[in-house]
Amino acid sequence: MTLTAAPASKIDQALASRLAAIVGERRVLFRPSELLTYASDGLPSYSKQPGLAVFPGTREEVIAVVRELARLGLPFVPRGAGTGLSGGALADGVVLVGLNRLSRILSIDAENGRAVVEPGVVNVSLSRAVAALGYHYAPDPSSQTACTIGGNVAENAGGPHCLKYGVTTNHVVALTVLLPSGEVVTLGNASGEQEGYDLVGTFVGSEGCFGIALDVTVRLSRNPESVRTLLADFLSIDAAARAVSAIVATGIVPAALEMIDQATIRAVESSIYAAGYPVDAAAALLIELDGATAGLEHDVATVEALCASNGARTVRVARDDAERARLWQGRKKAFGAMGRLASHLVVQDAVVPRTKLPEVLAQIAEIGVRQRVRICNVFHAGDGNLHPNIPYDASDADESARVHLAMREIMTACVNAGGSITGEHGVGLDKLPYMDLIFTPESLATMCALREVFDPDRRSNPGKVVPVHACREWHMAPSARPHREIL
Amino acid sequence: MTETLTASVDALRECVLDAGARGVALRVVGRGAWLDAGRGARTTESISTRELAGIIEYVPGDLTLTARAGTTLAEIREATAEHNQRLALDPHGTDDGTLGATVATASAGPLAASFGTPRDLTLGVEFVMGTGAVARGGGRVVKNVAGFDLTRLLTGSWGTLGILTEITVRLHARPEADESFAVSLERPGSAESVRRVLRRLPFTPYACEIVNDTFAAFLGIGHGETALLRLGGNAAAVRAQRTAFAELGVPREIDAAVWTRLRQAEPAGAIVFRMSHSASEIARTWTEANAVAVGCAGTLLHASPTRGVVRCIVPSSDGAAGWLRRAFGAPTMTTRIGERLPVDLWPMVSSAPASDPISSGIKRTFDPKSVLNAGILGEVQ
Repeated sequence: MTLTAAPASKIDQALASRLAAIVGERRVLFRPSELLTYASDGLPSYSKQPGLAVFPGTREEVIAVVRELARLGLPFVPRGAGTGLSGGALADGVVLVGLNRLSRILSIDAENGRAVVEPGVVNVSLSRAVAALGYHYAPDPSSQTACTIGGNVAENAGGPHCLKYGVTTNHVVALTVLLPSGEVVTLGNASGEQEGYDLVGTFVGSEGCFGIALDVTVRLSRNPESVRTLLADFLSIDAAARAVSAIVATGIVPAALEMIDQATIRAVESSIYAAGYPVDAAAALLIELDGATAGLEHDVATVEALCASNGARTVRVARDDAERARLWQGRKKAFGAMGRLASHLVVQDAVVPRTKLPEVLAQIAEIGVRQRVRICNVFHAGDGNLHPNIPYDASDADESARVHLAMREIMTACVNAGGSITGEHGVGLDKLPYMDLIFTPESLATMCALREVFDPDRRSNPGKVVPVHACREWHMAPSARPHREIL
Repeated sequence: MTETLTASVDALRECVLDAGARGVALRVVGRGAWLDAGRGARTTESISTRELAGIIEYVPGDLTLTARAGTTLAEIREATAEHNQRLALDPHGTDDGTLGATVATASAGPLAASFGTPRDLTLGVEFVMGTGAVARGGGRVVKNVAGFDLTRLLTGSWGTLGILTEITVRLHARPEADESFAVSLERPGSAESVRRVLRRLPFTPYACEIVNDTFAAFLGIGHGETALLRLGGNAAAVRAQRTAFAELGVPREIDAAVWTRLRQAEPAGAIVFRMSHSASEIARTWTEANAVAVGCAGTLLHASPTRGVVRCIVPSSDGAAGWLRRAFGAPTMTTRIGERLPVDLWPMVSSAPASDPISSGIKRTFDPKSVLNAGILGEVQ
């Protein structure tokens, strides 16, 4: 049992040759210049270069690669499209196993609303493939045109429409998993109820630390008969937050309920993604209602009235699909629009109880003023899932330090409000320092121990999710010793 | 069997550590409603969480509620009803059951068709492991991916990994209209036609169950195979939903109390199990279940066509257990899950669902001395 990653010296030309014999020479990257592309994920504030990157093209090749790494005791990091926002797919001097070439949809079962996909299938490709059958795949992270289902499974990804439809874990029914040892196991029951431990639910969101999903059986969602998209703008964030609470309290579950603050509106409106959001509004709510046509207009009218009674200046209902798409484009590309504001961008992913939104948003504004950083909020208000973004210049050491402080203060405010440190981006490297804020040493040690059931040598995505010190404590705790011997 | 009542997490932890030191296995119990289910736990003493009760935090605006494990579903129903909300779980049995037992067994009833099971509605848990460690998974917010998902792992683990002490659940606001209907199905074997209608509809009913003739009579809603519908939303939506079912027959409005009677339909000593397969196979699963009803007089059947599940309630009789023993020996396409069975039938129905290497590894890690509900999931130690 090793607590640290195997020495990088084992990654050498001989390893590259052995892996090339499995996947072909073109699919193994070993030169530093080639590996630079894989030094970051969607969060540019981290840079960790892998020692080698290998891109198997078939399930058999993935198994052969992982078995070879197991034989050599080498750690590895699974990676999908690398769009993650927590540094979770970064390989620091170890082997990166890219799964984006496994991009086949293996089967679609329209009768039961199920599909079996390889891990490298791009999220939106699945929805496109099943659209003619009247289905879509509901979890829709903003990166859905690039991110992969395998990555979504690893991160338990969410998205705007998860308010009504649930996150990734609510849509995965079975998995074939390659354990880091090279053993292949089936989790869940694709047809029928599953008794015993919920190993599918345990694997989803394990951030690549429990192994690699070779295929994923997902639940498809029927396309709604009708969709209405509303944009309500407010002269205060507080009023917008009150409207959110009022809507949720009615029992109407919007498909999406998103808040966009003034800083974000202005960034979007001055970019190529301009969506027609009113630039003088303090905040706007993008609200989508969907479902059966009958009764939907009644819900639209209720939501309009609630926005108005909570201080909305105007409420606009998109007249057609083109207007609807434009309103959504502004929201989904807000992150890209902020890229124009500065060379670097950090994004937080905390969750607070919905009723604490006004209070926490006020604290975030105060933190921005005090630390002299520009905070743009664009987030899933219906879930209380905040995404404060801070554009900044990383070459300015003073500004970087203030950004770092602001991020920590925001996270602390959210935790103090009874929230969580991540709603959908995962812990990865980025949230690792905050795990101690919400979990006790015993809880963290339990997570370490659970990981070791799947990956006794901790070779799969080492150093992520649970702080290393928590795992050390687990090993040192006298109460933990006897059963380690059994294992 | 000696029973220990614990009113605090510390006392519970001490009790678990003490049992481990003495080499004793504990039967983990809420209010004990399912103790006669026949599950083969190898335990000599029991520990109950029923005094570890009470709602800890309920903020209606957040639609979340945190309660101690021994809190009854009835208490949660009353507290949430004041704010026109509910916990959308209607497991079989009464609301005297505890939240802890519901989550530990992942028990769900007809509402699961629309709202999901405890695995979808449980947001966070605190539990005492077999090692005596107290751990938490998840939290009190509706969306959370911090750390490995101990909440999902513990939900439905039947108290074999940890004793749940505190649970946070997601609530739902009650809709403007929530109406129940019965539709008599003209032809036998109508399960498939109901599924086909449901598949075409642009909405999901809150609940849709098909009951056999015997069950319809028991519920007092007429005779013959009958579909029970629970429709919710605004008044216009419910009107349209009702009309959408017209092709199955004429929906008759019925009292919502039918769902309570359905949940509590088990006669004393009944044998209860579920059969499941893909929803598209519901016709075959329903046929297989009807064979049970033919073989065992008085059998009540109800199917959730969208979930592909049929639940069989077989009244106790001299012949029933023997008939089922023979039936369970025959090959089947369906997955059988036991709820309440004679001891000797358990291995034939739920054959060690937690005995695979990963489940066994998890059990050894969380409960190395096998203190908690030993053997209840047929786990290998």
